[in-house]
This record gives sequence, structure tokens and C-alpha cells, in this order.
Amino acid sequence: MQPHTDRYSRQTIFPGIGRAGQTKLAKSTVVIIGCGALGTVSAACLARAGIGRLRIVDRDFIEYHNLQRQILFDEDDVKNQIPKAIAAERHLRRANSSIEIEGVVADVNYRNIERLTAGADVILDGVDNLETRYLINDVSLKHRVPWVYGAAVSSDGLTMNVIPGRTPCIRCLFPVMPASGRVATCDTAGVVSSAPFIIGALQSVEAIKILIGAEDVNRELITIDVWTGAFQRLQIGDSPSPDCPACQGKYEFLEARFGARTTSLCGQNAVQVVVPGDAELSFEELAKRFREIGEVSYNEFMLRVAVDGYEMVLFPDGRAIVKGTNDESVAKGLYAKYVGM
Amino acid sequence: MSVKVQIPLPLRGLAGGLSEVEATGNSVREIIDDLEASYPGVRERLFRGDEELNRFVSIFVGGRDIRLLEGLETAVSEGDVITILPLAAGG
Repeated sequence: MQPHTDRYSRQTIFPGIGRAGQTKLAKSTVVIIGCGALGTVSAACLARAGIGRLRIVDRDFIEYHNLQRQILFDEDDVKNQIPKAIAAERHLRRANSSIEIEGVVADVNYRNIERLTAGADVILDGVDNLETRYLINDVSLKHRVPWVYGAAVSSDGLTMNVIPGRTPCIRCLFPVMPASGRVATCDTAGVVSSAPFIIGALQSVEAIKILIGAEDVNRELITIDVWTGAFQRLQIGDSPSPDCPACQGKYEFLEARFGARTTSLCGQNAVQVVVPGDAELSFEELAKRFREIGEVSYNEFMLRVAVDGYEMVLFPDGRAIVKGTNDESVAKGLYAKYVGM
Repeated sequence: MSVKVQIPLPLRGLAGGLSEVEATGNSVREIIDDLEASYPGVRERLFRGDEELNRFVSIFVGGRDIRLLEGLETAVSEGDVITILPLAAGG
């Protein structure tokens, strides 16, 4: 058997990384938030590349419809109902036993995100909703930890780096979070696996470059459409926007001034999800999307849809009651997946 | 000026499913007015209240963020490509 010191030889031969770069990677900590398609790809890349400490945070279990694109999981994980974070940890330990890998099963929110990202040199985005991304953005700016935004839905993907104080942040570019129900999600618009594969791979190499301190860190917003083959690099400027609240030290998502609120409805086995802002849901539009997913009915006052064994009742102002659970993170997760937030 | 506007996934429902449409105007603001005239509802999906600051999307002219140019008053030239890009959610 070859010595394990040979493990990274093919990337240390590459001059951009080299032995010095490899040593830096071994001393680094990366926190991956969300372990779906993007998270499994980036976790696989970074564990194999020898990042010293990898923390993978996710709130979900694995379902068959995840296997189409979430490359770390298999049918046994579905059958055994293993949480994604734990399954990822187990599979990656077999790929690289020489690094520390910690899977954390948790719903990331404003209360715990600072604890979960403590010690990170880079945060990688693998989440399935916008709210958590704005939260990552706040925590990144507050603690001066770079993060790599990535998203993929349908055949489209997007990625950009946020380096606090040196690049625009996500709120510089997108000052306002879109209203719920106005965002395409993988659960309603579908996703072609190549889109998250490419974005997750790009996020990983950006993380590596940031950790090494490479000059070539990407400073543009990259968009891809794997179906049409269109790739674009969009110029976003080289400094934070003076109008951006987050770059001026106002961490409104971290202070929970925005973001969804959930309340368990006592004794009803149901959770209410309230979203900020003045959403005005189009039941007609939503019903069209939901017909692919589950039984749906609506009138002018409410829309009912059966999904994943739960019943979700939506109101025109964006509020929802999720029946069949007392778990607030389950309710919020369903809302993020099917309505979008 | 006639320009090409790239329509992102969440707005295609309003634009008859098209991923790219033609629009006319001399500035980004006029282009959006023209889009609104052809595809009512577009404006409301791009802004909240005070248009200048409360954007749900980034808008690029020729691959450059209008934030770095003249914002909504950024002039457009014949044949320019305007990209409307919302923050995408999936992961």
C-alpha cells in the first residue's frame, strides 16, 4: 500500500496549491451549511482535498428524491433514516480518515448560527432557502469570515464570494429578500443535477483559494445554465456598497428583525409559519405548481395542499399552518421547499 | 434603443415562458417601463416601495451591475443585453 503521505500529491504538484498551500488547508476549518446537492458536492471536494476540520450542518433526513443529485447518500441511508449531516460524516470518513469531520443535525437560525460557525475560516452555502443565506451573510460580515454563496435550481446556477470589507456582499446586490412564494425552489421548479454539481465544485475551489490566500479568488458573480450551455461572469464591483445595511454593521437577519417566525399551535399538532413583509400569494400560480406535488384545493381565503404526509394551509398574506407536526423546523423546511422563502 | 432582456426563471411565467425578450428604451428605467407595459406585474416583482434602494434583483447592462453605473438611469445602447437576476434559492 502506498503511504498516505501520497494522498494529496496530485494537487500539491499543481503550483497554485503546492506544499505550502496544502499545509494551510490542513490547518483550516470550513463550515458547510446545508447538505443537499451543493453541500454534498462541496463536502466531498473539501474532505478529499484535506481541509483539516469540516463541520457539516443540516436539519433534514434523506429521501429517495434526493439521491438523483445528492452524491454522498445511498439507498441504505434512506432506509435507515439517517440524517444528512450524519450520513455525510460517515461516508466522508471512509474517503479521508486523516481529517476531522463533524456532522451536526440542526436547523440553522439566528439563535445558533454564531455558535455553529464559530472557528470557521470559510463558510460554504449549501442551503435551500434565501433566509438562511441572508443570515449567513450577516454572520460572515459580523465575524469577518468569508463565505461562498451558491445556488442551483432548474438548470441554472449562481455563485459568488463574499469577502467581508473587500467585496460586495449579498445584500449589496440584493438589498431586499423577495417575498415568499416568489422564489423558484428545487421542489417546485425541479433541478438538473449538473447545475448543483458545477456550482458546488466552483464553491469548493473558491474556498480552497480563499484559505490559501491565492490572488485568483473570483470577484465576479458567475451564472450558468447547464441546459443551454450559457455561462456568464457578471461584474459586481470590488468594494462593499455604501448603501448596504449589512456592510454598515446592521445585521438585521441576525437580530431576527426579518425572517420567518414559527409558532407551534398548542395541542393541534400544527405549526404556524409567518413570513415578514407584505407577501401577496397568487393561489392560482401556486396551485399550478403544487398540482405536480400533491392534492391541492383553494378558494379566495385559503389554499390547502397535501405534501410529504403533511397538510399545508396557506393564506394570501403568506402565512401558513402546517398540520401533522409540532416541529417548527419541519414546518419552516416545508414552507421553504414548496412556497419558497 | 432596442435591447435584449434576459428573463430569470421566477419571472418567465409573466413573460409567456420566454427566457429572453426584446424591449425598447433609453435607460434601464425605461426598459423596465416597457417590460411592465408588455408584461404587467414585472415591476412589482423587481422592486419594493422606493425603487432605487429596495431591489429584489440585480440588474446588469452588458454584464456590469447597474449599481456600478448610473443605477436605473444607466443608459442603454442598441443591442445591449440586460440581465435581470434574482438571488436563487435552491441548494
